[in-house]
Amino acid sequence: MENTLKKIWKSYSIGVVVVVVGIILSLLSPRFLSIGNLLNVMTNASLVAILGLGMTLAIASGNFDLSVGSTAAFAGCISFSLVPVIGVPASIAAGLAAGALVGLINGLIITELRVPAFIATLGMLTIVRGAALIYTDGKDLYLFGQTGYKVLSGEYLFGIPTPILLAVGIALLLGFIVSQTRFGRHILAIGSNPSAAQRSGIPTNRVLWAIFSIVGATAALSGMIISSQVLTANGRLATGLELSAIAVVVLGGTALSGGQATMIGTMLGALLISMVNNGLNLLNVPIFYQELTVGVLMLGALAVNISQGFDVRRLFRRQA
Amino acid sequence: MAEENHRILLEVQEMTRRFPGVLALNNVDFDVRAGEVHALVGENGAGKSTMINILAGVLQPSGGKMLLDGNPVVFHNPADTQKAGISVIFQEFNLVPHLSVAENIFINREPTRSGMIDWQKMNLLSAEALKRLEIDIDPRVPVSSLSVAQQQLVEIARALAFDARVIVMDEPTAALSEREVDRLLEIVRSMAKENVGVIYVSHKLEEVFRVADRITILRDGAHILTDKASNLNEEKVIYAMVGRALVHGKCPDRPIGEVVLSVKNLDVEDSVRNVSFELRTGEVLGLAGLMGSGANEVVEALFGLRKAHADEIVLQGKALAIDNPRNAIHSRLGYVPNDRKKAGLLPDLSVKQNISIGILERLRKLFWIDGSREEGSAETYRGKLNVRCSSLNQRISNLSGGNQQKVMLARSLAEDCKVMLLAEPTRGVDVGAKAEIYSLIDILVDSGMAVLLQSSELPEIIRLSNRVMVFSSGQSRGELAGEELTQESVMALATRV
Repeated sequence: MENTLKKIWKSYSIGVVVVVVGIILSLLSPRFLSIGNLLNVMTNASLVAILGLGMTLAIASGNFDLSVGSTAAFAGCISFSLVPVIGVPASIAAGLAAGALVGLINGLIITELRVPAFIATLGMLTIVRGAALIYTDGKDLYLFGQTGYKVLSGEYLFGIPTPILLAVGIALLLGFIVSQTRFGRHILAIGSNPSAAQRSGIPTNRVLWAIFSIVGATAALSGMIISSQVLTANGRLATGLELSAIAVVVLGGTALSGGQATMIGTMLGALLISMVNNGLNLLNVPIFYQELTVGVLMLGALAVNISQGFDVRRLFRRQA
Repeated sequence: MAEENHRILLEVQEMTRRFPGVLALNNVDFDVRAGEVHALVGENGAGKSTMINILAGVLQPSGGKMLLDGNPVVFHNPADTQKAGISVIFQEFNLVPHLSVAENIFINREPTRSGMIDWQKMNLLSAEALKRLEIDIDPRVPVSSLSVAQQQLVEIARALAFDARVIVMDEPTAALSEREVDRLLEIVRSMAKENVGVIYVSHKLEEVFRVADRITILRDGAHILTDKASNLNEEKVIYAMVGRALVHGKCPDRPIGEVVLSVKNLDVEDSVRNVSFELRTGEVLGLAGLMGSGANEVVEALFGLRKAHADEIVLQGKALAIDNPRNAIHSRLGYVPNDRKKAGLLPDLSVKQNISIGILERLRKLFWIDGSREEGSAETYRGKLNVRCSSLNQRISNLSGGNQQKVMLARSLAEDCKVMLLAEPTRGVDVGAKAEIYSLIDILVDSGMAVLLQSSELPEIIRLSNRVMVFSSGQSRGELAGEELTQESVMALATRV
């Protein structure tokens, strides 16, 4: 009995927390449960969720990507600058390609230069941020009259904002990939035991390149959505977003030690952070406290993760 | 030998430890006297580790009590244990690799002079502690520069420098070569002479009989018997451990077929020179040798895990490139690594997923894995190898060592290998599963598989192999078969330099 309860708690704890926080917030503020506010919460959750979903793959493989915030800004700038030349759809594709390219470079640094992912992507965090600032010359990019770009953030389908649909779609896609495909199984195998994975004939390097390319592409998508919300792109966008991305994955229950992944958990983790931030807003708590809260949530989730056997030193180890 | 009237140092009474769903220790009585080596023996899962962890203060008992010099004691944590004069040497050492031997011996209680570490004194005392054990190690070198065997000795020196009266050793020879084992056992005997009580935990019976005064056998968490070693023999102990007798001896007669693998002049970087052999279907070729002799390196090189070169390697009539494991698997070479935990298991994945990891391409349907075919294939191999698990979806890390090892074999079989490379196939596997794995290998070979077997256990290699190549210092020293193949003849070649 005690065991079953523990199991249930382990698989659904984040869901329970989301419901409890939801109830508390609706009691504290009547505005919380309004349709408009809920859509707002979910849209904001989607931005982090999209990043987090890609990050879930990296973490499931026993890796990390700290460069996603910078990649988001970089891709937003590339995409915006190309709109006048190649139009909206092509420039969105170009943004995704730019993100995937950054991810591929991350992967290559890890496998070819044999730098641990933590360090490699920490380096890329500054490099890509620098590249974005150089590319834009530190200025803001606007889209005058190109409201077509709003397709990423402003449109509604069946009354639902596109970022939410995108997040759900990506969650379903990546969830399917992880649980049902060979590539997904390879990710989990590498995360579970890299040297055993290599000895079972898995092309570990190629799998890592693919993982980081996907992480880069999801980061790019998230960056373009943020840019499209304000119809502005610049090199300073999405600063610090990498930590939120990791936080939602960890909150969702994906083990930092690798070898397993839960996309639903990541979605709920993003929802939780978004709800908490929204609640603090509604209660007129100054915005700085939101940063603090995300940090506390992440540390709490990390502590739980570590108590379940995650070894921090693994972050600094190279791939086998 | 400890006399009956020697003082009892530590006594455990009716010790019980419950885990959810498991009774790991059930009313076990156990004691150790000053000046004796008391071996604690049992299969994996018999309760040895639980006992050690309780003694070490890592686990708390669910019932029963401990007496130290006749007074009840409770160890809430490892520090309590240490204060009581009990030192536990785990399989995984508690040494800090970058610190010197002396620093490790005196860690946390460094001798000081006016607030600063007194290096001279520390090195001197360490040298004395090492000398007491007749160990020739410079106390100033970092532990990381020592061999595994030497590190083990440093652990023992530390225990003695702590003035430990009871020393608990958990599988102390797991990573040692034959010669190092001899040395270690001598040291254990000499510790007993200094009136230390040694609890020696192992399932290598040969060692146990060489070193122990008394033997206690656990099975399934229960105390089976305690007796003087002189009143017991290996058969009796095995019978008590597994509840049945084990077959020893040589491999059965096998019809040998065509050559499947031929290797000409294999050189492996930094370890092996000029090795050639042929392997036929239905045959087990044993590669024997002490640790570092090159036997394991040959196996790893063939699977593409080492930098190596050969004039010619032909597998089933085709040249085999040995640059990575993928090639090896595609060429129908199977491999079960010597260190299952490090190089074989995917601990977070299920039994099914561990079996099918190498054949996902074959189980593909459009662009996903065909779940029912995966299930079916895994079930086939689970049945063939008699893997005992509650379901195919159980996490492999929850299986016993023997069943994990069977899954490793299943993985290679699923890949449809024609030649199997087995490295230490029964390491960390209990006696019952060992017998089972031996007969599985017999069955595989009967069905036409060719096996290259590397093992450091002589009885194992003699039991399984048709022929044995013996290695020392990176070279093959000769081949033994038939009547010539005995433990003595293998050892004679293995120790030739």
